[in-house]
Amino acid sequence: MKNSLIIAAREFLERFRSRSFNVMLVLGPLLILAFIYGYIQSKNQGVLSMRVLVADPTGLMDNRIKPIGKEGLSYAFRQEYIDIERFKQGKEFQQYDALVEINEAIFSNKTVKVRYRQTPNVDLKVRMKFEIERRVEECLVSDTLGPQYVGVYSSIKQPLNFHFNDVNDLYNKAEQDVSWLGYSLGYVMIVFLIVFGTNIARSITREKANRISEVLLASVKPFELMMGKILGVLWSSLFQLFCWIVLVGLGLWIFQEVLLEDYFNGYLKGVQMSPEEWRQLGMGGYAQVNEGISLFYNQLNYGFLIPNFILFFLSTYWVYASFFTIIGALSGDDADGQQFILPIWLLFGLSIYAGYNATLYPDSAWTSFFAIFPWTSGMVSMVKVTMGVSLSSYLLMLISWSVSMVVGAMMLVLAGRVFKNGILSYSHKLTLSLLFKWLKR
Amino acid sequence: MIELVDIQKSFQNKLALDGVSFTIPKGKVFGLIGPNGAGKTTLIRILNQILSPSSGSVMVQGMPLTASHVRSFGYLPEERGLYREMTVKNHLIFLAKLRGLSGKEAQANVIHWLKKFGISDWENKRIDALSKGMAQKIQFIAAVVHGPEVIILDEPLSGFDPLNIQLILDEIKTFVQQDKTVVFSTHNMQSVDELCDEVALIHQGKLLANDKVADLRSKHRNGDYKIRFRGNAVAFANALWTGFEIIETKELSENYREAVIRKRADQSFNDVFTFLSGSLSLELIEEQIPSMQDVFVKLIAAHHHEE
Repeated sequence: MKNSLIIAAREFLERFRSRSFNVMLVLGPLLILAFIYGYIQSKNQGVLSMRVLVADPTGLMDNRIKPIGKEGLSYAFRQEYIDIERFKQGKEFQQYDALVEINEAIFSNKTVKVRYRQTPNVDLKVRMKFEIERRVEECLVSDTLGPQYVGVYSSIKQPLNFHFNDVNDLYNKAEQDVSWLGYSLGYVMIVFLIVFGTNIARSITREKANRISEVLLASVKPFELMMGKILGVLWSSLFQLFCWIVLVGLGLWIFQEVLLEDYFNGYLKGVQMSPEEWRQLGMGGYAQVNEGISLFYNQLNYGFLIPNFILFFLSTYWVYASFFTIIGALSGDDADGQQFILPIWLLFGLSIYAGYNATLYPDSAWTSFFAIFPWTSGMVSMVKVTMGVSLSSYLLMLISWSVSMVVGAMMLVLAGRVFKNGILSYSHKLTLSLLFKWLKR
Repeated sequence: MIELVDIQKSFQNKLALDGVSFTIPKGKVFGLIGPNGAGKTTLIRILNQILSPSSGSVMVQGMPLTASHVRSFGYLPEERGLYREMTVKNHLIFLAKLRGLSGKEAQANVIHWLKKFGISDWENKRIDALSKGMAQKIQFIAAVVHGPEVIILDEPLSGFDPLNIQLILDEIKTFVQQDKTVVFSTHNMQSVDELCDEVALIHQGKLLANDKVADLRSKHRNGDYKIRFRGNAVAFANALWTGFEIIETKELSENYREAVIRKRADQSFNDVFTFLSGSLSLELIEEQIPSMQDVFVKLIAAHHHEE
């Protein structure tokens, strides 16, 4: 084991000192941050003006909402229930861009549903929320307690929850951003595995090519040498992962404090608002209505997500490492290695498909199969972890993790056999029969 | 003392070593010789536990060979490589640590050897910046940096320039003075003559000969003598009578010749002198002991003849 650690340390340092490793150390987080920033900004798109129809069957709003801005939002009122299909199809409603439903349940469920035909700009969403919320307060408090208590109520009230939905996509199925983010994380995991797995295979092929293997094998057992390589590459991948997490975390903090400060600290275009008024908008204001910010800053539980990402990265790496070791040891030269990478690419392709499947059909039978199949379970687990799992589902994921670890260990024993036989074989013709012969011995 | 007992090794259907047994004495230079593909490298890999024998055993001081024995060996393989992107010093420290040295010991030994070979200035250079000769020195240092008691060198002189060959030969002599055992596989028979105390000749996986170099050469004497004399060539031929055969003669100057003769039947060195001294002015009579090169060729040829 000591020799494996010495070899692992060398492998780690070799990667750490390479230019490409250091470039990716910085470039990777920058690309991720650029993606996050672009994603958040993309959520600011949308129409800049709206005619909003307020369905107020109880007449609570008294056909009046006081606008805080001059442009963009205008309201019309109907004292009746308006079915969403009627709003979608009815000729008399086509002049309106959005329907807001204010019914008697608002005091108990604190929920306001906004159905729009075209996604509103974030500014509009914030203003709509602010204006409707204030009007509700006015109506509620001044009618029951008197106008002098509106200010007091504002300071102690709980904000309303606004649900913005497309009239054609009421359940926001197309915007299951969290699960797609999980898919993206799984994708990042696969990219890491490809990059670092290929490193294992190339390292073995290179040592065979420059004939240092025999020097090493006089001091270490083949299995120790193989484990040293796998551990060294794992360390470098974990180090890079750790740096990425720290840098992305730092970047998100800088976004919050500098680049996206307005979203967090309050500022509404064209509207003069006191900090107190802004506070009344509820937690985060903009951050609540920009799905991008909401996703990255409110919805994700990083404390759960990051340890699980590392956990499932480890099991998936463990399963794939043996494959790359076998390829490296089998190869007579670099061209051989390229040829035998293909089956691994197919498995990676399957893994990516499994993640896609889990995103769209999280509870399907295929997803259940992919969740336990060692070569795809890491990807599926990432999607599930990001979406949020129940305790029983999480326990099942841990069982699939254990299965992957056991299968990985068994694969490593087979890889050890191929490695032992292949490491001193140079310029041989690679055949399947040779592979089976080496696997037997 | 390392003892190889009835070593057999086969690869798939090919028998690479067929019942090879011999003993490597402690504190001597042991030559492992044989033509290409004879099985020398396979045998050396078995000694280093890189390969395990199909049957037979290796004993060290009467005990079966273990990993800890192997760790105390030094090994310079025929197929030797270096990590091109590492620095000289880091590379050697890395290999020394794999041989069980602590970081401090490794560092001290590496500095010692670099100084000894006069390449201290190169310690922080990358391997890929070294000349071939320099890289070969590093490879040799890597084999001995941990102070092994048994040093196994597979074709250590191949590709070396004459200066580096001398450097390596001198080091080998120093090891023997320190009572270390050197196992030395080579095609260079001149170096076997110069260095080896004992040899094993392997051919087609079989042991053809195992003896002390001096004894092996002596056993394969042809009864040839080199003679240098002043006098008439006819008188020389007459004087030899029928007891000797003239193999070759060479006129060095007028009436000054050198010849090689081979004895027939039971003639002795004294007979040569007796026959010639009366009629010629003798300057040199020297028995021609065959070189290891001659012995090597003779044994291989004899083996083929038998087959």
